Amino acid sequence: MSAALRSFEAQWRARTPDALQPIREQAIQRFLKLGLPTLSDETWRYTDLRSLAAQSFQKAPCETRGDIDPAASLSLVDANQHAATLSLINGCLPPNADRASINGIEISSIKTLSQSDPKGLARFFPATSDADQRRWVLLNTALFVDGLYLKITRQVTEPLVILHVSTGERAHEAAHPRIIIDAAPGSSATIIEHHVSHGGIAPLNNSNTHISLSMDAQLEHYRVYATGAGASHLDSLDIHQAHGSQCKQFTIALGGGLVRSSLEAHLNEPGASLDSYSLLVGHEDRHVDCINIVTHAAPNTRSRQTARAIASDVSRVIFNSKVIVNAGAVGSDSRQSCRGLLLSPSAEIDTRPQLEIHADEVKCAHGATTGRLDPDMLFYLLSRGLDRETAQSLLVYAFLADVLTGMSVSSARAAIENALISQLPDSQILRKFR
Amino acid sequence: MLVISDLSARVAGKEILNGVNLKVDAGEIHAIMGPNGSGKSTLAQVLAGREDYEVTKGSVTFEGRDLLAMRAEERARAGLFLGFQYPVEIPGVNNVYLLKAALNAKRKAAGEPEVDAYEFLALIRQKMKFMQMSESFLTRGVNEGFSGGEKKRNEVLQMLVLEPKLAILDETDSGLDIDALKVVSTGVNSLRDPKRAVVLVTHYQRLLDYVIPDQVHVLSGGRIVKSGDKSLAQELERRGYDWVMGAQVA
Repeated sequence: MSAALRSFEAQWRARTPDALQPIREQAIQRFLKLGLPTLSDETWRYTDLRSLAAQSFQKAPCETRGDIDPAASLSLVDANQHAATLSLINGCLPPNADRASINGIEISSIKTLSQSDPKGLARFFPATSDADQRRWVLLNTALFVDGLYLKITRQVTEPLVILHVSTGERAHEAAHPRIIIDAAPGSSATIIEHHVSHGGIAPLNNSNTHISLSMDAQLEHYRVYATGAGASHLDSLDIHQAHGSQCKQFTIALGGGLVRSSLEAHLNEPGASLDSYSLLVGHEDRHVDCINIVTHAAPNTRSRQTARAIASDVSRVIFNSKVIVNAGAVGSDSRQSCRGLLLSPSAEIDTRPQLEIHADEVKCAHGATTGRLDPDMLFYLLSRGLDRETAQSLLVYAFLADVLTGMSVSSARAAIENALISQLPDSQILRKFR
Repeated sequence: MLVISDLSARVAGKEILNGVNLKVDAGEIHAIMGPNGSGKSTLAQVLAGREDYEVTKGSVTFEGRDLLAMRAEERARAGLFLGFQYPVEIPGVNNVYLLKAALNAKRKAAGEPEVDAYEFLALIRQKMKFMQMSESFLTRGVNEGFSGGEKKRNEVLQMLVLEPKLAILDETDSGLDIDALKVVSTGVNSLRDPKRAVVLVTHYQRLLDYVIPDQVHVLSGGRIVKSGDKSLAQELERRGYDWVMGAQVA
């Protein structure tokens, strides 16, 4: 048993049982039996967790030293353009956070809800699974301290921001933030999860978000990773969609030394539609590993996946996506488009679109390309008199445009663009294009 | 204005140009004709500064300057313009942005101030109207989703905005219907000026009914094998390229 596994087991033993104990118990037993994923596990073949496995982790604190000002540089959205900012510190809620209320969104602490309505809550914890991409979800289920349950009850126009602050007191701490988003029939909302780190030490962050969209519900969801270079972040997102529901999801990897991001979407009923956008930026020696698994489980469901990966310096970016069309899911319509852009000879991008089709009469398209800047495009711009730096930067910017233009929240888009640009070469020039 | 002497060039290891000689003076319009594969487009791209095309011999001067020593962007700023045969689509880069950046690059090189945003838009609208282009052009990516004809109009529009001293138009007439051909020709003719020159690279004579050339050259096997006035184009149309190539052998 690895040091990490032993330490997680010790944390499990030390905690006080709560109303979710049966669910947690199952999860930890599964986790301890299966262990941490290794390079020989299908979805982990590009991400080596050995150095992480050798560490002994302690529970991350629920408080932070010093004030965190969500209105300052941490904020993605203008103060007057969003409904509220809910801050979590290492997955814990500040006191009275669940008394916050927003027109159309009920906010609860998962901890509180587990006491008042454990059965109602249980349906947002899917059955334990041995699948390797779900290994860290098991650990999150076992050890999460608290989290947010958001019930969207009607159509909410202003975006809600969840600020995840990752902060540590000493090395080798781990946090397990958990978010549940439950959208009622016909409701709509925009939710932005923004992951940042505060202070010099960031704990291992093992976060999970569960999204459940009822009939005809609409959600635009962002998860933006903007932690520091020393941070390791394992984030998983589960989306379950009912009849006619629409989900637009943006995964933006801007920061973190090691980022592993997974998305599992289940299009469970006819008419469910998912648009997933991923923008994965690797620079310095960072490692970004993103995996999407979209299951078409009902007829006439639709999915689009658009991924853009950029790697510079000696970074490595991985994007794997898989579309599964279950038997009987006729009329499923899926598209996967993944493009990678290498900006340095030592950077690496690995992409792998996959299809697993068990039904007839489906439309599934996929494409993946990785390369350097297109020489024809570059020559065209140069032949118009643009200088080389500007032309190259302009093409990098254009490469990102497919994802950026999909964003409906203009202030978030502007902030994300800004943050993105600052991580790319020639950022001074790139700023001019905005 | 442009003097090409004994120019040879290689593309992907293959000799395409084999000693081209050509002199274009200010105020002139030259047409370079020739069968497919004769090296017409290679010549245009070499003149514009395409780096993966390797010049193996010869020299080119543009207004007395050594053109081959200049990078593509320097040639553009010095007043050379290439209208592409196959203009590339660049989604995510706005047409107007590119035009403005191109114009400002040229002005900067000439020591002029950057163009005022309001004036610039007025200029673009005027030129667009002249080229009979739709307003949607303003919001679209460079050549993004354009039809063949729209792409060619866009090339001419760029030329009109940049007002080059020397325009090299590589098969700007191909793929155009008769109405578009007239618009494009009007655009080219509007640039006719004692201080400018135009080199039309074309496969067919039909463009030359609308833009009357001072000289016509036939490029074959990477060399100019025959030169003449506009009647040469008509004769070529009547007798075909075999006639010139046969004459060359004889």
